[in-house]
Amino acid sequence: MAVKAITEYKFPSRSRQELYGDAMLVHMWWTNNPWFCAAACFPMPKAMTWGDFWNAAVVPFFSEDPDWSDSTEFTFTLHGKSLDPKPEDTLEGLGIWHKSVIGMTSK
Amino acid sequence: MTIAPRAPRKLSMKDRYSALTRDLDWTPSYVTEDELYPYTKFEGITIHDWSKWEDPFRLTVDAYTKYQAEKDKRLYAVLDGFAQSQGHLSLTDASYLNAMKLFIQGVSPLEYQAHRHFAYLGRHLNGPGPRFASLCQSLDEIRHIQTEVHTLSNYNKYYDGFHSFPHMHDRVWYLSVPKSFFDDAVSSGPFEFLIAIGFSFEYLLTNLLFVPFMSGASFNGDLPTMTFGFSAQSDESRHMTLGLEAIKFLLEQDEKNVPIVQHWIDKWFWRGYRVTALIAQMLDYMLPRKVMSWKEAFNLYFEQQMLGGLFVDLAYYGITPPKFVEQAAEEKEILSHQVYWTLYQFSHAAAFSTSIPTDEHMEWLSANYAKFDELYRPLWEKEKRNVAAGGRHFARGLPELCTVCQIPMLFTEPGDPTTLCQRWSTFEDEHFNFCSDGCKNIFDHEPEKYVQAWLPVHQIFQGNCGGATIPDVLAWYKMTPNDGGEYLGSRDNKNWLAWHDMAEKTGGN
Repeated sequence: MAVKAITEYKFPSRSRQELYGDAMLVHMWWTNNPWFCAAACFPMPKAMTWGDFWNAAVVPFFSEDPDWSDSTEFTFTLHGKSLDPKPEDTLEGLGIWHKSVIGMTSK
Repeated sequence: MTIAPRAPRKLSMKDRYSALTRDLDWTPSYVTEDELYPYTKFEGITIHDWSKWEDPFRLTVDAYTKYQAEKDKRLYAVLDGFAQSQGHLSLTDASYLNAMKLFIQGVSPLEYQAHRHFAYLGRHLNGPGPRFASLCQSLDEIRHIQTEVHTLSNYNKYYDGFHSFPHMHDRVWYLSVPKSFFDDAVSSGPFEFLIAIGFSFEYLLTNLLFVPFMSGASFNGDLPTMTFGFSAQSDESRHMTLGLEAIKFLLEQDEKNVPIVQHWIDKWFWRGYRVTALIAQMLDYMLPRKVMSWKEAFNLYFEQQMLGGLFVDLAYYGITPPKFVEQAAEEKEILSHQVYWTLYQFSHAAAFSTSIPTDEHMEWLSANYAKFDELYRPLWEKEKRNVAAGGRHFARGLPELCTVCQIPMLFTEPGDPTTLCQRWSTFEDEHFNFCSDGCKNIFDHEPEKYVQAWLPVHQIFQGNCGGATIPDVLAWYKMTPNDGGEYLGSRDNKNWLAWHDMAEKTGGN
């Protein structure tokens, strides 16, 4: 069903990827840790490696949990599908897209 | 003999009302009705006879202004007395005012939006009855924001967080929730607006929105806000009547209207319900002296009064309870805890403060909510240890937002309060995230509308909110360092303790 309007109703998205230049929004959701009320949202270059993303964004955000440990192991999903990132993989190369949600589950 | 002429007979209120509305209406001669009222066809609603509108107001302008002036006199006498007697010191605690900060930032600007849009309806509806009813409601709404601002302005002299509220309303992340709700309504057609605001907001959800704030004021020593509440109550009763009349009028005019109205009820119930998430946490966490739990309020004002009463009546027209209402009913056990836990960790970017519930408060939460001890007490106990160790749980980044309600994606899966709910849709090759089935359903019906959502987190990352750091964004919000964060040790808290200490030493003089 389309919007009912008095004239043509067509406007661009206010969150489209091109508004972020070479970056895209990536959501990280710690699925089994209620300390964080929601997934975190990060603007990250598509060409950034997973290792850099992890160290520059994920660890600083989630280490706010007083129980955080650098040795905690995680499994990952991308919208429910298993994801097996290596540090040298780029975000784009891993198939991560603008505004997608990566689940991280601590073992 | 001359017979003195009879004095002119005074018209009854009903006759004067009829003269004001019906007798001042006319059939256009040099333009068509469609040219005069160009916005009442495109939504697909069919109206056969505007005169069937049963006037819910039956007021004349002189009677209306007389009643309102009397109410204003009483209110302003209370405001003067409260201000002159340092009445703010008789509140239960300065932390109570966090609820009022949220009210003036989030709710009062909606009154102004309602004033403007009901004025628009007062011009653009074809029938004279609904036009006058809309005009009266428009006047009510401008009076409401004026009296709310005057009521709460006294606190602005002594407490942080009350300043700059209209500026904040247009910018701040948690205020985009009520703002986007009303923006959504005023950018709809006139009939959808009537269902959105006149029916869903003013009838279906008004008691959940309005009563908790005013009862909270009453229970916490806030005489001015309580008096404002009484002053607005008779207006609200008329607004409820208008909302009910609007829906019955549309349903009785043509059967083809029924599915359109049903969709609007589904949509606007969920949109309004999501706004009440802010009320839920206010009731259970922000009021030092409790009125009732959110769970009780939802059960009484929505499940009993609306599902058990109104929707039984509306079934006659073929209307069913809103979609996903069962999910809302299930959420009453967990909603307030999830929302306050979120506000707690983001209050460093808010114009209100938060704090860990006291032990006594947690006992109250435990007594009222079966899942509190299992799901939420452990979080607060962990945070207590965190604070004792010198920490304070403030998030170091920004959260994922729902594209429709714009609330951080804090809600959990139906039937599983431990797993966050994630829904998404793709529209024109772009991915959009939602907090719930209700919000996804709204987007899927009108994706062209919601792709325009001004999502605060996304706008910050696009560089549209003053800068890339939290201080940059807070400056753009016009927030000061004393407006938000932790309540204990805040300037409000320190002043409160100092003023009361002084009052005790001087025997209250």
